[in-house]
Amino acid sequence: MRLLGAGLALGGWALAVAGLFITSSTLGRGIFAVMGIAVSLGGIFGVLNAYYLERAIWKRS
Amino acid sequence: MRVYSKYRKRWSIALAVFAVSAGLAGLMPTKSAAEPITDESLKSIVGPAAADIAAKGDPGAEMTGTVSDIIVADPKVGLTLSDLVNQVGQNRIAVNFVWTLVCGFLVMFMQAGFAAVETGLCRAKNANHTMMMNFMVYGLGLFAYWVFGFALQMGGVAPVSNLGGLYPLNSEFTVNLFGKPWGLFGTKGFFLTGVTYDVGVLVMFLFQMVFMDTTTTIVTGSCAERWKFSAFCISTLLLGAFTYPLFGNWAWGCGWLSALGANFGLGHGYVDFAGSGVVHAVGGITALAVAMQLGPRIGKFNRDGTPNPIPGHDLTFVLLGCFVLAFGWFGFNPGSTLGASGNGALRIGSIAVNTMLAGCTGSFAALFYMWMRYGKPDSSMAGNGLLAGLVAITAPSGFVNPMAAAIIGFIAGVFVCLSVEFFDRVARVDDPVGAISVHGVNGLWGVLSVGLFADGRSNYGGSWNGVPGSVTGLFYGDGGQLVAQLIGVATLVGVVFAMSFVWNWLVGVFVGHRVSARVELAGLDIPEVGALAYPDFQLKSGGEFVGATSATSSPSLAK
Repeated sequence: MRLLGAGLALGGWALAVAGLFITSSTLGRGIFAVMGIAVSLGGIFGVLNAYYLERAIWKRS
Repeated sequence: MRVYSKYRKRWSIALAVFAVSAGLAGLMPTKSAAEPITDESLKSIVGPAAADIAAKGDPGAEMTGTVSDIIVADPKVGLTLSDLVNQVGQNRIAVNFVWTLVCGFLVMFMQAGFAAVETGLCRAKNANHTMMMNFMVYGLGLFAYWVFGFALQMGGVAPVSNLGGLYPLNSEFTVNLFGKPWGLFGTKGFFLTGVTYDVGVLVMFLFQMVFMDTTTTIVTGSCAERWKFSAFCISTLLLGAFTYPLFGNWAWGCGWLSALGANFGLGHGYVDFAGSGVVHAVGGITALAVAMQLGPRIGKFNRDGTPNPIPGHDLTFVLLGCFVLAFGWFGFNPGSTLGASGNGALRIGSIAVNTMLAGCTGSFAALFYMWMRYGKPDSSMAGNGLLAGLVAITAPSGFVNPMAAAIIGFIAGVFVCLSVEFFDRVARVDDPVGAISVHGVNGLWGVLSVGLFADGRSNYGGSWNGVPGSVTGLFYGDGGQLVAQLIGVATLVGVVFAMSFVWNWLVGVFVGHRVSARVELAGLDIPEVGALAYPDFQLKSGGEFVGATSATSSPSLAK
C-alpha cells in the first residue's frame, strides 16, 4: 500500500507533465495539471494516510 | 571663495559620475560635443587636503566621500576614466552584496522565531528536545548544503548579474526530452572549492543556505514530541542535501520548471519569487510525509477518532516567535531581489509593503474566523494566520500590487484555519504546531496566487526565466502562467512528497522514527537529549482552567 500511495503521488506528477507533450492548448495543459494534482492527493490521503490510519496508535489502545 | 571652490569640486565629481553612468546606460551619447570627459579633465578635480581633514575633522560630512576616496589603478597616473567606471560598477555590486548579506542575516534570525514558536506550542516536558531540534537544524542543514545541496541547486545558475555574474556556477546537468532541454541539477560548487571560491558565489551560498534551513526547521514542528533525535538528524541531512536542493534547482537554478515558459510557452515558466513553493511547501510537504509515518502523539485522538487538545506550554513564547519571524521575513522577501541596485531591484519597497500587508490580513482573517466560529479570538491561530499570510505572499511578493497582497494574505488566514481542522478531524495527521497547514497548504496557495494576481507591472531587467516581459497572472490576461504554477504544485505534491516519503521510510527502517511510548509519556527531554528545559519547575497538569487554553490543537477545534 505504501508503494502504491507513493507511486500514485509520483504518477500524478507524471500525468501533469505528460500534458505538456500531449496537447499544446493552455487549457488542456491546465486540465492535465489539475488531474495530476488530484491523483497525487488521492495517493497521499486516499491510500497512504488510510494505510497509516488503519494502524494508528489510538486504535490499538 | 574657498567654500565656492570646494563645492565646485564636489559638483564636478557628482556630474562626472552621473555622466558616466548615464552614458553606460545609453541614455546620452558617450561623447559630449560640449565637454567630453577625458582622463585629463578628471585630473582637474581635486579632493580635500588631508591636512584640512586632520586639522578640522569633518563633522558635516563635506570632505568625506570625494574624489580622494576613489581607488586609482596607478597612483602615478592618477584618476582615469577607467577608474571611475570601475568604481561605479563596484558600487552597484557592493550595494547588492551588502543588501543580500544583511537580508540573509535576517533570515538566519528566523531560526530563533521558529524555535520559539515550536517550543512554545509543545509541552514543557518536551521543550528542550524541541528547542534542540530547532537549534541543530542550523548546523546539520548547513553542513549538508555545503557538501551537496548548494551545488545541486545552484551549480548552473549563472549568470546572475545582480551579484556580479556568478560565472563559476555554470554547469547544469540537462537531459533532452522530446527535443526540449530539461535541467535536473547543478554540478559545480560542492564544498565551495575550486573556482567557486568566489566572492559572489559565497554571498549566494549564504543567502540560499538560510533559506534551506527555514525548510528543514518546518519539519521539526510537525514531528515534535515523538521524534527520535537520531532520526531527526538523518532526515534533516537528507532534506538539506537532496530534496530541497533538487526542487530549488528546478525552480531557481535554471532547472526544467523555470524553463516551462521558454520551452512550452507557459507564461514565464514556474515563478516563485522568494519561496512559497521552494522553501515553505517543500518543508510543509516533507513535514506531512514524516508526520504521517510517525503517527499522532499518544492522547491526541480518542478511540473514535475525535481529536483532543494538547495545549502548548508557553503562548507568550509563541507570539514572540511570530514577531521574530515577521521581522525576518523582511529579509526573506525583499532580499530575494538579490540586490538593491539595477534590474528593477528598487522594487524592494513594494515587496516589503506586500509582505507586511499579507501578514496583517492573514492574522486578521484567522483571528476573526476563530472568533466567529468558536466565540473566542484564538491567540495561537492569530499567530499562525500571520505566518500563513507571510508564507502565501512569499512567492508573489515581487509581482503583485498591495491590494492583491492583502487579498492573498486574507485568504491564507482562512485557509490555515480550515486546514488545521481538516488535518485534525478528517486526515487525523497530528501536527502539534500547524506547520503543514501554515507552510504546506499556504505555500501551495502562494504558488498559485502568482498565476492569478501577478499584475504585469514588475520589471526585473526586462525578462524573467529567460522570457521577455513581466510576469502576468490570469486576472491580468495570462492563463499560461497559472498553468505553469499548477505544474509546480503537481511537482511539489508528487515528486517532493514521494521523495520525502521514501527517504524517511528508509530512515524509519534503519533507525526508527518514533520514541517508545514510555519515553513519550515521560517527556523526551531526559531520554533523548539528557536534560530538562525547566529543571526547577514542577511539571504537572490539572486545575480548572489548565487544558482550556488554546494552541494550534485548539480545544475549540476538538468540539
